[in-house]
Amino acid sequence: MTHLIALGFMLQGMCGALFQFIPVAVGGNVWRPKLVANTVQPLLLLGTLLLVAGLSYSRPELLSAAVPMFLLGLGGFVVAVAMALWRTPATGMTLWAMRMAIGGLAMTVLLGSLLAEAVAHGLSLPIIELTNVHLAWGMGGWALMLLAGVSYHVVPMFQLTKPYPDWLTRWFGPALLLLVIAWSSQLFFDSTWLPVAIAIPLLVILSVYAGATLWLQYTRRRKIHDATSLYFRVAMLSMLTFSFSGAVFFLFPTFGVDPRFAVWLGVLAFAGVFVSAISGMMYKIVPFLNWLHLQRLGAPMSAVPNMKKMIPAEAMTGQLRLHVLALCLLLAAVWQPNLARLAGVAFAASCAWLGWNLIGAIRNYQKFRDQIRANALHH
Amino acid sequence: MTDHVIDGRELQPPEPMELTLEALDTLPEGDEVLLLLYCQPHPLFSILRNHGYAWTEEVRTDGTREIRIRKQAG
Repeated sequence: MTHLIALGFMLQGMCGALFQFIPVAVGGNVWRPKLVANTVQPLLLLGTLLLVAGLSYSRPELLSAAVPMFLLGLGGFVVAVAMALWRTPATGMTLWAMRMAIGGLAMTVLLGSLLAEAVAHGLSLPIIELTNVHLAWGMGGWALMLLAGVSYHVVPMFQLTKPYPDWLTRWFGPALLLLVIAWSSQLFFDSTWLPVAIAIPLLVILSVYAGATLWLQYTRRRKIHDATSLYFRVAMLSMLTFSFSGAVFFLFPTFGVDPRFAVWLGVLAFAGVFVSAISGMMYKIVPFLNWLHLQRLGAPMSAVPNMKKMIPAEAMTGQLRLHVLALCLLLAAVWQPNLARLAGVAFAASCAWLGWNLIGAIRNYQKFRDQIRANALHH
Repeated sequence: MTDHVIDGRELQPPEPMELTLEALDTLPEGDEVLLLLYCQPHPLFSILRNHGYAWTEEVRTDGTREIRIRKQAG
């Protein structure tokens, strides 16, 4: 289940977003983006299905079959994106965060592949420690690093806030990277205090980043309450709750031994932080891509419909409300298991509604494209 | 020559770009559109290039970018 969200939703969305974000934000060009996307996406999809089926039904051959899909697909993606990120003449912390994030993705894939092979063939490796380190690279070194780098650019731009403070953008990414590397040392040292000594500063920097983003939203020049801003607020509030509960988890071992705490943190990180932030970004990226592609049809520039007509605002905010309800139910279900079914249905419905809104945007793109072409023939 | 000013600094993207493109569609010969922004609009530049417009860019001390756009000669 975790991999269906991490690979099926998060990774697909983040890889796709990079194709758009690299040219727009850092002026870089991914080598033959159509070819890379058309190769990476099917491999990623197939790899995800094999991995999830292999884990769900304990089928070692499926796990082994998934590994080359990820190594080939994501390996190619990492190389293509890394070349674009190192060749661009742009500078700034967004670019550096993206460079670190792509390294984080490479580490996540390598560790994940090793884990899949270890589980499939019963290799004598420290599976729990490897899983912890794989998770830290995936969630911290890749996903959070990318989210932070992108937010330095898009939060001031789309939410009309002041820029992030220089000290924060300069230190957050490198500190996060160092802490993830330090966290990985548990593969080599057996220590009871080391995880706590690393986790606490990690949770502190997460709180600083989330708190700063909320503060920027609170003090912005013009108050905008669109789905993207609200989704970012949900993501940052989830990150603050994650940090606070994580600190309790690590500092008070009596709470830490309760297995429900790990589920609570997982729901906050996946559904609370990343599904929220990525959904919010998709509501900006997909209409913008529609609009940009319609511009390229060669019609008079003002003939292209306004970006707001691509997905109705009410559909986005309605879906956002359902997502928040689903998140609250999922969190409550950790402590009240009788709510689990209802929470699952609400979360599935919210994801389906997100998909429906995005499919609607594609249908609108086709409708506007046909209108523009028909008008061009008419004249 | 007349300047058609679009202050995009308090607008949410891509509103400044949409307003700029609308203004360019009806821009009289010899006139310029002056776009004010806090960031560099890479996607706008690529559209302008494809539609035969030229532009110049200056940065004010407060970080505002003045982007002057006109139809390319010839």
